[in-house]
Amino acid sequence: MSRPGDILLSVKDISLRFGGVRALTDVSFDIHEGEIFAIIGPNGAGKSSMLNCINGFYHPQDGTITFKGEERRQMRPHEAAAQGISRTFQNIALFKGMTTLENVMTGRMLKMRASFVEQAFYMLRGRQEEIAHREKVEEVIDFLEIQSIRKTPVGRLPYGLQKRVELARALAAEPQLLLLDEPMAGMNVEEKEDMCRFVLSTNHELGTTIALIEHDMGVVMDLSDRVVVLDYGKKLAEGTPDEVRGNQDVIDAYLGVSHD
Amino acid sequence: METLYLIFIDPFVQMVVEPAFLVEVLIGGLTSGIMYSLVALGFVLIFKASGIFNFAQGIFVLFAALNFVGLMDLGVHPILAFVITIGIMTALAFVVDRLVLRPLVNQDPIILFMATIGIAFFLEGFGETLWGGDVRPVRVGIPDAALFWELGFGEVLVQSADLFAGVIAAFLVTVLALFFHFTPVGRALRAVADDHQAALSVGIPLNNIWVIVWAVAGFVALAAGIMWGAKLGVQFALSTIALKALPVLILGGFTSIPGAIIGGLIVGAGEKLFENYWGVPLLGGATEDWFAYIVAMIFLFFRPQGLFGEKIIERV
Repeated sequence: MSRPGDILLSVKDISLRFGGVRALTDVSFDIHEGEIFAIIGPNGAGKSSMLNCINGFYHPQDGTITFKGEERRQMRPHEAAAQGISRTFQNIALFKGMTTLENVMTGRMLKMRASFVEQAFYMLRGRQEEIAHREKVEEVIDFLEIQSIRKTPVGRLPYGLQKRVELARALAAEPQLLLLDEPMAGMNVEEKEDMCRFVLSTNHELGTTIALIEHDMGVVMDLSDRVVVLDYGKKLAEGTPDEVRGNQDVIDAYLGVSHD
Repeated sequence: METLYLIFIDPFVQMVVEPAFLVEVLIGGLTSGIMYSLVALGFVLIFKASGIFNFAQGIFVLFAALNFVGLMDLGVHPILAFVITIGIMTALAFVVDRLVLRPLVNQDPIILFMATIGIAFFLEGFGETLWGGDVRPVRVGIPDAALFWELGFGEVLVQSADLFAGVIAAFLVTVLALFFHFTPVGRALRAVADDHQAALSVGIPLNNIWVIVWAVAGFVALAAGIMWGAKLGVQFALSTIALKALPVLILGGFTSIPGAIIGGLIVGAGEKLFENYWGVPLLGGATEDWFAYIVAMIFLFFRPQGLFGEKIIERV
């Protein structure tokens, strides 16, 4: 299933420390255009920290991140979003007081071009824009099959659906790189199957490059084109699911062989 | 027996016997209530957007009014003075963001709260240095006359200034509510209020939003300051009146705009009714100063999140 495209995102020698704790040490990998790339590893391996570095929540002390050929040391989250990086969170971060529709609409925030004053007073250009964005948002809502909950405040939705709304919000921004932090965590089998289907069709039909963190090994092996394994903040292995599965270091890390 | 009669029966008999007086009391209460709402609104805006309880909001009201009146006393046209004061409040928002909020970002809420207390004292002193400590009347041409309304059951005396203030406040409150619900900027503001992390991830720059919110809160403070100033003169005691917003917030909920409005009306009407029907005959009056706080305290026992606050749900 591997489709080698151009390198979209390149992570080079990233090191991240919180005080004395080394969350990441010299981690490097490339994500190619159009692939589904998984970051796996035991708890506390630094997977979420890695995603947080990519979208600018954390600023690594060393190393560089190159996105679309542009090298940078650090970036603010809203700049990353403007560059085309969207994400979802491990413990859902939705706007709980708003409806599904409003939540997804916030994903379009950066695409709005009308000036602040025009928006504030809802002038002609502001209104035309609003309509155009609504259409795009409805497309995403159809794509993820959440039409029936458009007007429901998301705080009231069951967990699985909230995860889907979060994905919808990320997709509404038409990202080039989509970061999913444990998209299937806490879901039942049926919800997991749905989510897998949506992740795959996002990749196939919309052509979005996806980097995801996931604990369910079955899901990872089925979905991803390539996998990187982290343990104690270091890269253990990288390759296709089959390559990684046979790697002795990886097996040790998961089965808990003592580190000497 | 006598006391029980005075508490439970007599007040209601009075209300029925003299409905015109009741209407007067209610109108007086509601008009001062809507002005409490305006002050409370400033608190809610900032609390929603940044999770900071801005203790300085009361001083904002005073500071805005001081600047406005000060400029007018220098001979500036009221409209120009209004615009300049909005500029000053926006600049103030910018300075607060740069000098106080940004360096303290990610600190505990209590630290930020302490910082706003600091801002409050600084502004109080700074305002006095700039404009002096005298009581200054506001002359913006708000009509001040006693109107007599002939209703079916008697004649009602209404102050036109009260009515005017009520109308302006109601208008402002409506505009803000529409702004929050139907514009993209309003949506961004609500998004930030709801979840900082999610807001960042969809590309909302938090800092800009904070400046906007503090500036809007400054604008609301100016409106409230002018209204109160027109009623009582611009004086430093205004910052104490502004603290009435606290019981209003406890009643309405710290995160709800409609809550701030309705809470203000309830407090305003409630304290006037209590003063006239229970306070004066039973306690000799002067209950207006503390009544709202007692109500707020009782409210905390039964509904700590306020009438419209977000339900406190603990998911385990």
